[in-house]
Amino acid sequence: MVRNIVILGGNSHPKLVESICNSLGLPIGDRTLSSFSVGETRCEIKDSVRGKDVYIIQSGGGKVNDHFMDLCIMISACKTGSAKRVTAVLPLFPYSRQPDLPYNKTGAPLSKQPSTVPGSPMPYTFESVPATPAPGIPMSAGLANGMDGLSKRLNRAQVSANNIHSPAAVAMPSANGPHEMNGGDTYFKRTDSSLTLGSSRTPGAFTTHDYDKMAHFTSFQGKPGYKQWVAQAGTLVADLLTCSGADHIITLDLHDPQYQGFFDIPVDNLYGRPLLKRYIQQNIPNFKDAVVVSPDAGGAKRATAIADSLNMEFALIHKERRPTKITDRQNATMMLVGNVANRVCVLVDDLADTSNTITRAAKLLKKEGATMVYALLTHGVLSGDAISRINASAIDKIVVTNSVPQEEHKKMCPKLEVLDVSPAFAEAIRRVHHGESISVLFQFD
Amino acid sequence: MGDMANEIKLLTGNSHPSLAKSVADRLGIEIAKTMSLNYSNQETSVTVGESVRDEDVFILQSTAPNNINDGLMELLIMIHACRTASARRITAVIPNFPYARQDKKDKSRAPISAKLIANMLQTAGCNHVITMDLHASQIQGFFNVPVDNLYAEPSVLRWIRENYPDQDIVIVSPDAGGAKRATSIADRLDRGFALIHKERPRPNVVGRMVLVGDVKDKVAILVDDMADTCGTLAKAAQTVKENGAAEVVAIVTHGILSGDAVNIINNSCLSKVVVTNTVPLGDKQERCKKLNVIDVSPTIAEAIRRTHNGESVSFLFHHAPAV
Repeated sequence: MVRNIVILGGNSHPKLVESICNSLGLPIGDRTLSSFSVGETRCEIKDSVRGKDVYIIQSGGGKVNDHFMDLCIMISACKTGSAKRVTAVLPLFPYSRQPDLPYNKTGAPLSKQPSTVPGSPMPYTFESVPATPAPGIPMSAGLANGMDGLSKRLNRAQVSANNIHSPAAVAMPSANGPHEMNGGDTYFKRTDSSLTLGSSRTPGAFTTHDYDKMAHFTSFQGKPGYKQWVAQAGTLVADLLTCSGADHIITLDLHDPQYQGFFDIPVDNLYGRPLLKRYIQQNIPNFKDAVVVSPDAGGAKRATAIADSLNMEFALIHKERRPTKITDRQNATMMLVGNVANRVCVLVDDLADTSNTITRAAKLLKKEGATMVYALLTHGVLSGDAISRINASAIDKIVVTNSVPQEEHKKMCPKLEVLDVSPAFAEAIRRVHHGESISVLFQFD
Repeated sequence: MGDMANEIKLLTGNSHPSLAKSVADRLGIEIAKTMSLNYSNQETSVTVGESVRDEDVFILQSTAPNNINDGLMELLIMIHACRTASARRITAVIPNFPYARQDKKDKSRAPISAKLIANMLQTAGCNHVITMDLHASQIQGFFNVPVDNLYAEPSVLRWIRENYPDQDIVIVSPDAGGAKRATSIADRLDRGFALIHKERPRPNVVGRMVLVGDVKDKVAILVDDMADTCGTLAKAAQTVKENGAAEVVAIVTHGILSGDAVNIINNSCLSKVVVTNTVPLGDKQERCKKLNVIDVSPTIAEAIRRTHNGESVSFLFHHAPAV
């Protein structure tokens, strides 16, 4: 039993809050957190927090801005309620990935513009660039003709692509039945024919709140001679948490380790590596012969750390962002460094959002002769039609942690396996509360 | 002036493009090229398409109902983007200040969210705030930067004078908190005043109402700073009508009109509901024929112009610029 401590949860991930509290043997702090009719957050902390050590658990998935404001308001409420110390526990840190690319480059995680003119449905291909969803808006380039046709087409594509190496047959997912995504029938409707990777380079691949003025945004261009840039919210989010009154931050696998430097308060960045490592050791047969693959250069360090500690071989995929000529060998823009022929591959990354990167990486690996592709990720945000892409992709098994809710994803994706991070967070909270060192949690050997 | 620095740069988010457009037109400038949109994980992204270095930046952002937090984050990210892009001064123009009603610790451990928003705006890098009809003017004290609280009152007075020049009108405050606002209008019009006392058991729920004052056979004009779910307004109109008013009109500055407000207004005994365009109304005007809109963009534009030129803004507290 831990004393003088209050654990509060936001609305983003109640399951995780529950299991962290179970691990600590504590009840969940009582609070009201809802919204007024106008949409403003309404919060009230029911339990006394005077002189207490307060931990507020809120993840960054789902409606990010609402959840973030909820968190700030809860922190502020505890502070004005005379809490001794408030620690924000953010399993997935919002705005931690800061793309600096303008919206219209391939690879930027922005979405396609929802088309307004209905037209003939387009087939869904590997090269389809994922769309950005927003509540209640049809924007997906989704699966116009369902999963059946797709699997067949993919199988065919797979065979023709892999006939040289003739790897083991790719296990294709069975049809999942109708997709239960919001947006109803409009979700899968597709209109313009510019769905392939190449055409996504044309301006207009994005969504906005202002659907009336789509034309204005489609033609968005900076002033002549001015290089447009995307605002990076990282420091801002750090400052906002501090100004709300957070005294301490606990998070998991920050996308950039430098992010810790944005804060003037202590940040404990836990690692998902021990979990991923244990999974490799326990669930991948003959893992010593497998190859750890980083899907992009940015994650090379993360992947090599795992490869080194397990004495595994390492390969890297280099993503070229320069516009190249579109040919049938689209993967020319992705180059594999290392040998994966006739081996099991383990893709390791920190975050999969639209999962464009890992599905393309998996395709390349299969093409280069990999027998089986695992994808191990700390944060499975899996927004947009990520699940459909993964189901249709060459990935055989995708493993994520429950840093964001995975129940819905799991229902839709038979390849998905979820690791539980709550013990790590519970232990971190316990140690931080007692003033013990948490560096033992960083050692994963 | 050409390329000289320190000109007005008007930026705006997605919350209220039409207001931004009319303010920009009034100032005779173009809205600066920025774009804000959502990533697929619903994080907000802001792209800046022109230089703001050494410029006098004004960021106009209203907050649309049910999009409050998105609008707020958009504003904060824009402010921060301009600060990191070396703007000389950043003024947040927030016609309807969000979370203004959560301005006191009315229960144990209730957050003072308005104070938090004030802190957040300053943390993001805002040097000045222009807003309109704050729910409580004490919110100005939450800031350590100057706050110009504009009034819709001059525009409201003009609307009453134009639309009810000769009728026997009485100004009614629907609650005790708005008495000051209503008496001020009554005094300036030299008309009578009445007040409704109400008991409010829970937020967004209205209790019993008692009218103090004479409204018999008069045009009763209910005056308030905001209309949200309109439960209060409809009940107040009912009370006034039962006390013998000939016609009941409501004038509110911020027409938030969330939830079922439009239906409540349509079914109420209000003959007109007059709001300003501080809050985007969307299709509510089509759905509610009783809705009239007063354009406050001239006041906002004039406040921006005067702030930029270092002139006094207090003239606008008593006079509405010609439309």
